[in-house]
This record gives sequence, structure tokens and C-alpha cells, in this order.
Amino acid sequence: MVGSCSSCKSGTTLQWAPGHPTFISRVQIIGRNEPVVQVLSSAGSDWTKDFGTGIRIRKRRYITAVSGSGGGRRMRTTVNAAATETLQKGIAEFYDESSGIWENIWGDHMHHGFYEPDSSVSLSDHRSAQIRMIEEALRFASVSDDPMQKPGQIVDVGCGIGGSSRYLARKYEARSQGITLSPVQAQRAQALAAAQGLDDKVSFQVADALNQPFQDGQFDLVWSMESGEHMPDKSKFVNELARVAAPGGTIIIVTWCHRNLSPTEESLRPEEKELLNKICDAFYLPAWCSTADYVKLLESLSLQDIKAADWSAYVAPFWPAVIKSALTWKGIASLLRSGWKTIKGALAMPFMIEGYKKGLIKFAIITCRKPVS
Amino acid sequence: MRLLTHNMLSSNIKGVTNGFPLLIEVEKVVEKQVDFNEDFLRNMFPKIEWKALVEASRTMGYTELPENAESSMLDSDEFLRKFHHALIELHLEEGALVCPETGRKFPVNKGIPNMLLHEDEV
Repeated sequence: MVGSCSSCKSGTTLQWAPGHPTFISRVQIIGRNEPVVQVLSSAGSDWTKDFGTGIRIRKRRYITAVSGSGGGRRMRTTVNAAATETLQKGIAEFYDESSGIWENIWGDHMHHGFYEPDSSVSLSDHRSAQIRMIEEALRFASVSDDPMQKPGQIVDVGCGIGGSSRYLARKYEARSQGITLSPVQAQRAQALAAAQGLDDKVSFQVADALNQPFQDGQFDLVWSMESGEHMPDKSKFVNELARVAAPGGTIIIVTWCHRNLSPTEESLRPEEKELLNKICDAFYLPAWCSTADYVKLLESLSLQDIKAADWSAYVAPFWPAVIKSALTWKGIASLLRSGWKTIKGALAMPFMIEGYKKGLIKFAIITCRKPVS
Repeated sequence: MRLLTHNMLSSNIKGVTNGFPLLIEVEKVVEKQVDFNEDFLRNMFPKIEWKALVEASRTMGYTELPENAESSMLDSDEFLRKFHHALIELHLEEGALVCPETGRKFPVNKGIPNMLLHEDEV
């Protein structure tokens, strides 16, 4: 919604979303027919963040709208539906472009491997490490193998090319539905399922994790393996996971978080935000949250048996290995054939290593159970 | 997309009170033979919305399913085979799923439904 911005002046503090003030250094009236405001951040980087939706806003170029009600200073979080659609399109295109090259070098699991701390691994160990990641996550969440209690219906939220879906369907002799924003991934996932004789056990849809096209309470296991980073609205994301979980069902979220804030901190330090911004730009990620934020969201939905852990120590060999694989002849040739989005993503990989080393980035697992009644 | 999937999908467009079941617009139906699994069918039966399955299978050109079904019918081999065929072997390759309240079409291409909502539907 666009309203009058005559009340916005330089030096005004804008409330983007509850508890997240941001400072406008300069206000410009732009646009011909609509009064819109360009918000310029006083932070050092080119980028600032809409904390409400987590959509990143490019300084001096992004046009946003300000509600004209009251003092004209409260930024509505629903204003950026267009930005969400842009983010979704970016994510879809990134994966449409990159999935093939990833699969070619790394196989069908698009997530971190789980390694013994301080181990040295060769490229051939990574696939079993990726499978171990799935098994460790199931173990952490106490998902039962028992024929009477094992999951029968599984949803794979942010399913990539279906690696987890196929693995879990096989393991539990269950049915799995996978959702992804990328049509290329969905097609590839289904093709792999058919090739592996799993066509009747797994199926894939192009859909939005924030608006899952399923009725309530369908799934015994709700699986989100490294897709949470892409969700611009963590609260909505978690709400949907809980909604589609069956009573007594298990929710497993494995995702990238930033470090928990200390009780006196309002936000991350500026240099920390800078580093995350670079990663967000390359990987089509909206704002990061902390593991503690996820726990709070799950608690607010009265979910039970909430557990969380920091598995950063168990994934340390991963990014160096990905970089190494990119620097092989095969890797470089594939990158050059792929596209700019993929290359940009590859160039950002050292930032991930830096983030982990500085204790800023955490590889988190958060699990819980939906109450039976 | 097979009808097992269709039986789980619903329209979540803003303002829609009942987005299930989605209507089906057929452009291309494919039949894929799959091995019969009685245990699976018995487990699935209580979770299936039967009316939605019957409607959907008729739209896809299969009219053999009975209007109503009860679990005792699972003892009949003939019933199981029909249930199996409708649930697992019929695929909508090309066409659309239609929101029963708004008429909005979700395209199905190469068997994959696209359930993404537009900006104004969220």
C-alpha cells in the first residue's frame, strides 16, 4: 500500500517490523504517479534489510512504500509481497541453473555431510557423509524404525532434486511428497524417482513452503533439510510446517542460522551483517535468524519435545571440499557452462568458511513433535 | 501427478474456506503400470477422501470405482485392483488443477503440478 510520505524526513527512525528500528539517512521522493520513498541506509554497505520480511534492499535503488496512516513511519511487512515474488523467482532461477552441475559433481543430495570433527576426508567420503547427515538428523529427532510407529507420509520441504525424499521413502517404505520452487528440480526429482523404481512412492510439486498446498495434519514426518535459509518469513515457514504435521508427527529442521544474540545485543555487529549480506546476495537468501529464534517460534506454537543443537563442528570439511571440487577441471568447465548465478554462488563459498570460522554461522538442527490432540 | 497426490492437495488461496478437492482439467492422461501392494492399499484406505478420488478418477476417464466404499470391500481382490488402478496407475501428465472456489487454475506440466500462488493470492 502506498501512502503519502510527506511526513518522512531525514533522521526519522523507521519501524520496519516490531523491535527492529532502522535509520533513514536520506529520503527522496521518486516515482511519477505514486508517492514512494527511497530508503537509504546509514550503514556502510550497499545493502540494508527489511527486517519484517527479510528481503534485502539495495541502497539507493530499491523502491519501497510507506503507509500513510498515523505518523507515516510504520513500515508494513506486507508491503513487500512483490519483493518476495522477486526472491522466489531468484531462488527458482538459481536452482534451475545450478542443480545440474551440483548433481553432476556431488550427486543427488544437496546438503552438508556429517563428519567426525577434525577429520580429513576425500571426495569419495562425502556422499556417505551426506547420508549420515540424514541418519543423524532422524536419530536426533528420535524417529522410530518400528513398523507400527515409523512415518507413513513424509513431506520434504525444499526438496531439491529429491535426494532426501527418495532416501526416506526407501528407508521407511513410506510415501513422500516433495516441494520446491524450481520446476527444473521437480522434473529432475521425478525422473530420478522413476529411474529408481520409486515413482509410486514419491512425488514432487512446484510449490511455496510458506503456502504449502496440503491440507492440515497430513504428514507423520515434516522434513526441511537446508531449505529454511531461503524462507523470507520464518514465522510463516514454521507455522506451515506445524500445520501440515499430523498429530504426533515429527518436524525436523536442519538449517543455517547465525549465532544466538547475547541478552544485551539488539542485533549482530555491523561487520557480521556485512558478511552475511554477501552470502545472501549470492545464494538468494533473505535475512538470517538464530537457532534461538527458531526455538521461540516452535514454543509459541505449543509444539513438544523441542530440541536444538549446533552441528557446526560436524560440517567443517564441507565447504573446503565444495571449493576443491569447483577448482577441478571438471568443476571449472561446468561452472563456465552454467551461468552467472551459479558462478556468483561459487564465488561466495569462501564467505561461508569465514562465517563458520568466526562463529557467526551455525549449522543448526531443531526438532519437535506435534501434540497428539 | 497421480490421484494419491491429488487427494492430498488443496488450494490455499487467501480467503478460500474450502480448497479441497481441486477439480481436474485433463489434457493428457497416462496410465503407468505399477506393482500391486495390498498392505499399502489397506493402510491408505482410511486416509483417502473417497468422494474426491471417485470424482477425480471419473474426470480422468476411469469409471469403475464405486460411489461409496467401506473397509470391508478391501477383502475383495477386484475392488483392490480398481482402487490400486485409480490411486496409483492413472497420471495426469498435462492439464490443470482448479480451485473449487475461485476457479483459479494450477497448471500441471509433465506430471508436475505448479501450486505457487500469485502475489495477490497470499
